[in-house]
Amino acid sequence: MGRLSRAAAAAGRGAARLVPAGRRDWAEAIWAEAYEVPSGLRRLAWLAGGVQVIAREALTARRIGRWLLFAAAAAWMAWATWPGSPGRFATGTARVDVVTIVLLLAGLPWLARWFLGPASNGRLARFLRVGGYAAVLALTVTKARVWRFEDAHGGFSPPHSFAWFVEIVFLVVTAGYVAAVLAVTAQRSRVAPATLAIGTGTGIALGVVMYAVAPLGLAHDATEPWLAGSAIDPVVALAWILLLGGPVAAGGAAARRYRGPGSPRELSNAKLWQGAAAGFLATGVGALIVTVLGTGTVALMPRAAWLRHWLYPGQHLLAAVVSNRELAASSSTQTYGLIMVTFPVIGLLLGIVSINAAISSGPSPGGGGPPGPDPVPDPPDGGRLASAGAGTGGPAAGLPGWSEEGPDSEHGEVLADVTGGAGLPAGMR
Amino acid sequence: MLAVLCEEPSQWRHGYALAKQTGLKSGTLYPILIRLADRGLVEACWQEEPQPGRPRRHLYRLTAAGLASATGALASAAAPPARPGARAARTGRDVVAPVVSGLSRGAARAGPWAG
Repeated sequence: MGRLSRAAAAAGRGAARLVPAGRRDWAEAIWAEAYEVPSGLRRLAWLAGGVQVIAREALTARRIGRWLLFAAAAAWMAWATWPGSPGRFATGTARVDVVTIVLLLAGLPWLARWFLGPASNGRLARFLRVGGYAAVLALTVTKARVWRFEDAHGGFSPPHSFAWFVEIVFLVVTAGYVAAVLAVTAQRSRVAPATLAIGTGTGIALGVVMYAVAPLGLAHDATEPWLAGSAIDPVVALAWILLLGGPVAAGGAAARRYRGPGSPRELSNAKLWQGAAAGFLATGVGALIVTVLGTGTVALMPRAAWLRHWLYPGQHLLAAVVSNRELAASSSTQTYGLIMVTFPVIGLLLGIVSINAAISSGPSPGGGGPPGPDPVPDPPDGGRLASAGAGTGGPAAGLPGWSEEGPDSEHGEVLADVTGGAGLPAGMR
Repeated sequence: MLAVLCEEPSQWRHGYALAKQTGLKSGTLYPILIRLADRGLVEACWQEEPQPGRPRRHLYRLTAAGLASATGALASAAAPPARPGARAARTGRDVVAPVVSGLSRGAARAGPWAG
């Protein structure tokens, strides 16, 4: 076999690893058959055909596109964050952020894949992953800009022990958010698609309203700059309702929508899990959104006069006042760290407590409305076929209105056979 | 390719042998084999005793359902064109693609309960 053909064959065997497991035999088969093809142009043509097959089967274009997009976003983050005087404290922490965040975003998906499988194919799961990644990259840039501004105005004094502690907490918390996003959007995640939708939607609303309440953090000097006086009160009330009531409502809705096989006890536990996940998602997503928007606003303030006019409408601020407010806003961004740590815990606890209370007090959380049909015996195969997608997505994951309807009847099992395990969408029942 | 596979349906074929007999290149042949295997019309296995110094080869043959569907599809493909002046097939893909579609339709009608 010629040297070029041997090199191409070796490259092909490596490239076969790009192909999904179910197609790997075929990719290896093409390369193995190349030994039988006469050497020269005919063998190279055979191998070229193999490359074509691998590219088609591996969805290589899509994977390469994703990696290119990530590389471009990481390069933008590095370009926006890396420059600075080497001797300054904020420059050092910014460069630590760049390296650590890139390693986290590139490496954690492999770990998540090991434990929970690849990413779910649902549209919402993909949206959540892309949004989570974009938020983390943006947060790294805005945090570096804010710290650089503070450092330039004497905000960090040696020996920087507390500042390094805050830096480490920031990185750990960010890693936690990335891990959570990967975990809830993985194929083998126990979070149902409906739970994902309810929690994310509630979280977006919470984040936006909280940003409207305090676009510059929760420090007294920076609060409510654009809605002065009593105009802010309804928005504050809404923010409290969403913060405390949102996880409860999201948890209840997620538990009510969840249907799955198993005994009543197993179903109660599963609903508890969905309720907790929805509450956790609601506050976690909200915390991430308000943090990214808030730190972004603070980072932009020193260089964007239009932003200052928007934040302080009708106020003619002197330069000294502007500078003081910018410094106050920069200092207040530390409260976002508190928000990012505490909000998911609040949401998780509220979700668990609300579902637990509903389970303890009466019928199961999904039992509202008229009584259903009598329970039927479990199907002979334990409902494996029709419940293939329950709780983890399945082929219809991501479709609007989809809920995980496991087989609770013989009819459901037959339908599952025909539809390949997906059952009927909720709207068709 | 189907005609080749139907000649001796119980005999296992190598990919290069199929390519030589059908005139299809690897980039065309293997996607067709993959689709036929996905539909249960072709089965594949690895050679048990490869030649020394060479990797194992992948072998293919029609399944029972594939043989039944192929016979019918080949008969349909061999029928005269429905209208005069129909363009003759120019490439192997022009021949194979409608046959694969016919096999797929036949497999779909047979359903998962076909033998």
